[in-house]
Amino acid sequence: MRLHEHEAARLFQQAGIPVPPFAVARTADEAVASLERIQLPVVIKAQVLVGARGKHGGIVVAETPDKVREKAGALLGSSVRALAVESVMVARKVPIARELYVGATIDPAAGAITILLGVAGGIEVEAATRERPEALFRRTVVPPDELRGHQARALAHEAGFRGDLMVKIGDVLVSLFRVFRKTDALIAEINPLVVTADEALWAVDAVLDVDDAALFRHPELPADPLARMEHPLERAAKKIGVSYVDLDGDIGIICSGAGLGLATMDVVGQRLRPANFLETGGGITEKLMYETTQLVLEKPGLRGLLINLYGGINPIHEGAKGIVRVLREKNVTIPVVAKALGNRQEETWATLSEGGVTVVTDITTEAAVDALCAALEARR
Amino acid sequence: MSILLNKNTRVLVQGITGRIGRAQTKWMLEYGTKIVAGVTPGKGGETVEGVPVFDSVLEAVRQTGAEASVFFVPARSVKDTVFETLEAGILLIVVVTEHVPVHDTMEMKAAAKRVGATLLGPTTPGILTVGEAKMGIIPGNLFPKTSGPAGVISRSGTLSYEVGGILAKAGIAPSTVVGMGADPVVLTDLPDLLRFFAADPQTKLVTIVGEVGGVQEEMAAEYIAREFRKPVIAYVAGRNTPEGKRMGHAGAIVQRGMGSVESKVTALEKAGVAIARTPAEIGTIAKSLLSQTRS
Repeated sequence: MRLHEHEAARLFQQAGIPVPPFAVARTADEAVASLERIQLPVVIKAQVLVGARGKHGGIVVAETPDKVREKAGALLGSSVRALAVESVMVARKVPIARELYVGATIDPAAGAITILLGVAGGIEVEAATRERPEALFRRTVVPPDELRGHQARALAHEAGFRGDLMVKIGDVLVSLFRVFRKTDALIAEINPLVVTADEALWAVDAVLDVDDAALFRHPELPADPLARMEHPLERAAKKIGVSYVDLDGDIGIICSGAGLGLATMDVVGQRLRPANFLETGGGITEKLMYETTQLVLEKPGLRGLLINLYGGINPIHEGAKGIVRVLREKNVTIPVVAKALGNRQEETWATLSEGGVTVVTDITTEAAVDALCAALEARR
Repeated sequence: MSILLNKNTRVLVQGITGRIGRAQTKWMLEYGTKIVAGVTPGKGGETVEGVPVFDSVLEAVRQTGAEASVFFVPARSVKDTVFETLEAGILLIVVVTEHVPVHDTMEMKAAAKRVGATLLGPTTPGILTVGEAKMGIIPGNLFPKTSGPAGVISRSGTLSYEVGGILAKAGIAPSTVVGMGADPVVLTDLPDLLRFFAADPQTKLVTIVGEVGGVQEEMAAEYIAREFRKPVIAYVAGRNTPEGKRMGHAGAIVQRGMGSVESKVTALEKAGVAIARTPAEIGTIAKSLLSQTRS
């Protein structure tokens, strides 16, 4: 779950990271009211969950209360990169002498946490570090080990910092690491971490993406991962408990595993165009397959549906009943082909056939795609 | 022969009294697994399918000599339970559970390394040694009754079933099928699993079933090029995944060109691995590789 900038900024601030004074505003009035606490000039930032806001008009500067009213008002209710701006962050503008990058991510190869310090921060950090990889310094920490102060300062020293600034950067790294661990984060970034002319540090952006699987133990974090998903079908799918990704084609796909889903898309994609990716995970029930099938069929323009299931932990015989219930209730006439193997497969095949589904008993997904292509040909 | 698990391995089922634990225990016993104990704290003294249930792993190990464990334990309890199990001296643990917090996985992985234990998963259907035993949920009826020369390591549970069936159709039985899971951090990496197959005389060829996201296949390519002498086939799923979209497994995201199917296939090909473009191609490639090895 991706946190909004202001949510992450608050957590960073609480952890001791220097964040310029800020407020969140949902109306132009609220934006102006925040000036009681926040000195002009201010930066007004659209709170949308997308990168490169600055390049797309999502970050503006205002020097007077009137300008704050005007610019906040303009941003609110508009959209940045197709996302509606429902709130803005009003923050004191900090004079920038130098931009750094600090971040923490998971290193899948090491099964550990990578701490990053980049001396070429700012909007162009990806390009900068590609062109100058020597500008990025890193350290790996294996949980439950922590990033110690002396290790963080050593990293800052390696990056060329000395004196007070080295110590302050070290402190920011330690605090960022703590937030990362404390929130079960996947990514934490401050880009840019600003150094002012008098060597003060300020975090003028805050990115925090936390592990959805850990939300159960974080009552202090926002509890609305669904609301942060853009696509209505993707959101609805998450609500049911399945993973749906909208694509451009016209052949609906339902699979009982993510790897199977990817492979199915590979095979379907050789001859047809997948309309979506969908995997049900290990919790198939009659109800889940009913809701899932209904959901997939909601996408307009579908010409066919391919179902690919394996019953290991999944009771596919139960799932089959849910599928045919939708086909019957909605009077579905597009060709539906299913390959369903595993525990209690004969029962599953009987239920599906009786429900009008073309059942493929071959082990390969190619056979199912062949059957679907044949059915689509027959239509024409 | 096999890797990690055979018909004599004394297996413990944790979460045995839950709905899934119960049902899967029945299937595992039917397949031939030597389940000697179950653990659900608070249910000590009960029996499930004839298997005695204990309150703690230590007790189960002391009373029955259990040496391997399979988990049907909720995500929030997995880390705690793994630590208990490692402390009791068990060195093979299969974590079937999905949605385990990544931070927990990292801690478990480090703990396993410290004591030299092999952990599989999370989000794995487990391990199945054909004709002998299985730990987890891999359907036994998809495979032949007698084992053969093909080792299978898969990041995807469901794809491991498909590939097992495809090999069977080609007349090639697997030796052991291992689900390694596809979480962003896995408890045992692909090169280490390949090492087990390197040491198994029965396994003559290994199939890797990979997918977009992460760097497991790239790590495997390095290891294979350096020291793996048996023929390897790989299928990497997700060629048609659009960039930036997260599909299914949290690991399946293509970002900045890393973790793409192309990068994995390139690395594997360079290491001498035969690439199947669809799961079905694995059958034909395996047949030809095995006949080459024989001649």
